[in-house]
Amino acid sequence: MSTRPSRGLMTSVALLAAAGDVGGDFFRERDSGSLPCQARPDEPFCFDWAKDNLDRFGTPTVQHLELVVISVVIGFAVAFALALFAHRRGWLRAPLLAATGVLYTIPSIAFFFLLLPVTGLGKDTAIIALAVYTLQIIYRNTMLGLDNVSSSVKDAARGMGLTDRQILWRVELPLATPEIIAGLRIAVVSTVAIATLAVFIGGGGLGTQIYGGGNLTFPTSIFISLAIVVVMALALDAILLAIQRLTTPWRRARTI
Amino acid sequence: MSDDQASSVRYDEATKLYRGSSEPAVDHLSLEVPAGEICVLVGPSGCGKTTAMRMVNRTVEISEGDVLIGERSVRDREPAQLRREIGYVIQQIGLFPHRTISQNIGAVPQLLGWEKDRIRARSAELLELIGLDPELGDRYPSQLSGGQQQRVGVARALAADPLVMLMDEPFGAIDPINRERLQNEFLRLQAEIQKTVLFVTHDIDEAIKMGDRIAVMREGGRVEQYATPAELLMAPATEFVEDFVGADRALKRLALMRVSDINLWEAPLAHVGQATAEVRAKLDAADVEVPFPLLVDGERRPLGWLSERDLAVDVVPGKPDSPLGPVLELDDVMRDALADLLQHETQYAPVVDHRGRIVGVLSVEIISEFLASPEAKTDEHSAVERPHD
Repeated sequence: MSTRPSRGLMTSVALLAAAGDVGGDFFRERDSGSLPCQARPDEPFCFDWAKDNLDRFGTPTVQHLELVVISVVIGFAVAFALALFAHRRGWLRAPLLAATGVLYTIPSIAFFFLLLPVTGLGKDTAIIALAVYTLQIIYRNTMLGLDNVSSSVKDAARGMGLTDRQILWRVELPLATPEIIAGLRIAVVSTVAIATLAVFIGGGGLGTQIYGGGNLTFPTSIFISLAIVVVMALALDAILLAIQRLTTPWRRARTI
Repeated sequence: MSDDQASSVRYDEATKLYRGSSEPAVDHLSLEVPAGEICVLVGPSGCGKTTAMRMVNRTVEISEGDVLIGERSVRDREPAQLRREIGYVIQQIGLFPHRTISQNIGAVPQLLGWEKDRIRARSAELLELIGLDPELGDRYPSQLSGGQQQRVGVARALAADPLVMLMDEPFGAIDPINRERLQNEFLRLQAEIQKTVLFVTHDIDEAIKMGDRIAVMREGGRVEQYATPAELLMAPATEFVEDFVGADRALKRLALMRVSDINLWEAPLAHVGQATAEVRAKLDAADVEVPFPLLVDGERRPLGWLSERDLAVDVVPGKPDSPLGPVLELDDVMRDALADLLQHETQYAPVVDHRGRIVGVLSVEIISEFLASPEAKTDEHSAVERPHD
């Protein structure tokens, strides 16, 4: 799973190159005008340009964050519900795992374009695709967490008079929290990366700054965008880690 | 424990037939456990003892027949409600890892909707009852030893003052030394709280130790014999029970007796400064079975055994030639007393009362005669007292 973010980044870069010819149609509105460092191609990073144009990244960053948060929240809601459903009805486990697995293997860019005729250009299409990608990871980790709850703890809970629902919400889910959040962390980091592709269907985000209009090789903008992507991924990951620590104090209380 | 309560448990032709199985796991089981007693279900694995126990709180559904708590059928009850009135202790303990010790103990009271203060007070009370430092209440289960965790498991089961306790091999996963300690602690606790307990084990020694009554079960959940430990050891009803109880059942019976339950020999006593001729005369009397005089002080507390050399002089010396060896008390369990004798490689040991005064002599001979004599078997019924009483 952990290879997902880097794979996402790599595919996004490769696909940006490949999509250069067709992409132009989508971004007619973008300014493809003068790029100051073009005169000195030997210089990989153009500080002057960066200094003057930092504000260009503000809106795309916010959009990017929005794409990530909304799609992960939706993905979590769906995957979590599926997991609870499969937990209650054992026979659903395998089919749901297979279904989310199949969705996960569709190449991102193909998925975007497959959705286009249905949902059209824009943020919604991007969110749907990104949310679908998180299903497999969150579903699988939630199931894993629920499976890891020791049967003796469940037996004791049942014998003490907790109802099935109470066992789920008071015992199983709290104990599955570390695995669930581990799944969310992977989902968030990979979504931050894949969301750079939202640009191809007019979803906005930092992809707009990586694909610099008609010019694919302006490196300064790409570097800044990538830096923001990486920082965003790390920050969201850290937030989730902190939430996990806060919600599972017993895991840090191992020794006296 | 302010509001102790306990109910009898009665199996009435209770049967469990698992789906897809042709033989019932428990077959028309009828058994009555009086309120306040420990009933041990014992038998080899697969005999249906755990299934039978689980019928009581309906973690196993009854296929046929009934189980009654007090006069009430468990089948009429809503399972979750029923279980909150029944303490449940399992071998794997099953404490909630994500809850503190206090929260674990307070789990059932919380389900019953007790107020927070009452739950906290109850947790503290139970921690004290099971002999754990109240400070441990804020720890998590993983921070406690196995023995401490099992004590918490028992406390958690007791929290809402249940009518009945179900204990499924509760000490099975604990090392032998701690197991013995926990068994003793539980018996002490039980003497205080007087719960009706169904206790499952495969260990006959544990059954004999813990049970007021023992149901020996065999495959198919059939009860071969339901009797007190002493009856079981004295008169096994079937060959199966005899085999299960083991060839050493004579020795096991000793575990159920105390030194005070047997007729001791009278010790020929000697005092410091007494004329040895007088002591010799005592030894020659026909009814004296101990061949050596026992030197005692003014309070009749034993000092040591006198040898032939001690008696060779005119008066009894102040310092006996032979060491005293083991001194037994009337309250000692007979098996431990015998072990003491064997360990010191001695035939005799003085027995003293709680003030340390001599009351008689126990010998290996007395014990072996007792075990061999048929009259011992009839005596025993009244003589037997459980070690913890």
